[in-house]
Amino acid sequence: MLEVQGIDVFYGEFQALFNMSLEVREQETVITVGPNGAGKSTLLRAISGLLPCRNGSIRFLGQAVHNLQAHRIVELGIAHVPEGGRVFPHLTVLENLKIGSYIRKARGAADRNLGEIYQLFPRLAERRLQLADTLSGGERQMLAIARSLMSGPRLILLDEPSSGLAPLVVGMLFDFISRIKSQGYSILMVEQNVRKALELSDRAYLLESGRVRLQGTREEFSQESYIRQAYLGL
Amino acid sequence: MEILLLNALANGILLGGVLALLAFGLNLIFGVVKVIHMAYGQCVMLGMYLIYTLRSIYEVPLLAASAVAVAAMAIWGALLHLLVIRPLLGVERLNQLLALAGLIIVFENLAHVIWGADLRGVRVDLPVVSLGNLFLKTSNLLAFLGALAVLGILYFVLQRTYVGLAIRAIAQDTECARLMGIDPGRIYLLTLTIGGALTGLIAAFFSPIYSVHPHFGGSFTLMAFIIVVLGGMGNLAGGFLGAFIIGVVTSVAAVFTSTEVAEILALVIFILVVLVRPQGLLGARGAR
Repeated sequence: MLEVQGIDVFYGEFQALFNMSLEVREQETVITVGPNGAGKSTLLRAISGLLPCRNGSIRFLGQAVHNLQAHRIVELGIAHVPEGGRVFPHLTVLENLKIGSYIRKARGAADRNLGEIYQLFPRLAERRLQLADTLSGGERQMLAIARSLMSGPRLILLDEPSSGLAPLVVGMLFDFISRIKSQGYSILMVEQNVRKALELSDRAYLLESGRVRLQGTREEFSQESYIRQAYLGL
Repeated sequence: MEILLLNALANGILLGGVLALLAFGLNLIFGVVKVIHMAYGQCVMLGMYLIYTLRSIYEVPLLAASAVAVAAMAIWGALLHLLVIRPLLGVERLNQLLALAGLIIVFENLAHVIWGADLRGVRVDLPVVSLGNLFLKTSNLLAFLGALAVLGILYFVLQRTYVGLAIRAIAQDTECARLMGIDPGRIYLLTLTIGGALTGLIAAFFSPIYSVHPHFGGSFTLMAFIIVVLGGMGNLAGGFLGAFIIGVVTSVAAVFTSTEVAEILALVIFILVVLVRPQGLLGARGAR
């Protein structure tokens, strides 16, 4: 469904991704792991149109998307949840969810989606009139993920959903992500918590210095001795 | 004495309503597009000249002339965005500021060339409304009620519609707003168009009250900036509060001293507030 082929991405003069290729299939959960600065977030930002690709191509459902602006890519069904639960701090929880359904084709289903999201995240229903500013870190991350569902996406890009959260909250968060996965969404997730992310994943990529170093199915990946030593501490 | 004070107070509140509209426009543009529209008051001035021309030379009824001014200034705002602001979006702040400040000179001299330096006014004969000891000019009362009505409509749009939500979202986090499918270019253009329409509206409210001259905008731009910074840059509620404070202070002080001293007093209050709270009365936490 998503095919990234040989993209080069730059921040100004600095090259962050080198000839990067990656694939996410229908209903698949793919994780990318790697050290800080490996280009994981950059990859997500290139897919969602926040950064331009200098070479290579990105295709989504058969359509080339690497030349489209970010707001067009959302309309095609890719929702990007940026790092750190970036919600709109001075909008209420309800307004944050509503803005998630801004694109025209999502507006008709907004009320129905809202109902489903409140069932999935009862905490958000309780706090719907509170400013997003007043939520805890975990709640904010849940709101950011819930907001992405409001656009009716086919593919969800998750950027380090567990970063900065307490261990207990991380567990809850991964439960939510696995529930979303079971609803048939495709997920591409960048995550520091390799062990937990691997449990959820179908396939995984290891990125280092802007290049794909390893890739494989969950089983292959967790057998790999380099991964076991460097990322799973086994 | 008390009657004088009461009347000054009432007139200050009426003036505050229109100033609130002016501050709203500036705040909206700053909050969303993150540029400081230095020539905002000058746009009001051009709108007033337009109404004057339509009314005095082409004998268009005042209401129709006002409607034309609102539409024309909305288009003017959009053009300003496309020709001046948009090309400068990615550049250094100082260059944006210089370009927009340059517009002050352009607009004022444009007015000089077309209409000359004389005072131009629209003559309107409206009765004075009296409530006991309170005497209010109908034109001031209409301007106040009109401004409040427009602020109410804008508040409703910002709170209850997708477009309003998008405007607030962009003001808080532009990149995140793009990920929601919001096109910043469209919202910027819309914001400057709304901001432009507001200058036309303020011109319509001011026309029966003041005569216009090429430098008319200057004092109001200054006033508007004092209000906006006093309330907290980009904070719409702060601008509303600041407008009434400045409106009441200047009008009460003008009764007991003179207009010049009143402006000094407004500046003193402004400096004191900014000394104690540099972020403004209601803080500078982005447009809500």
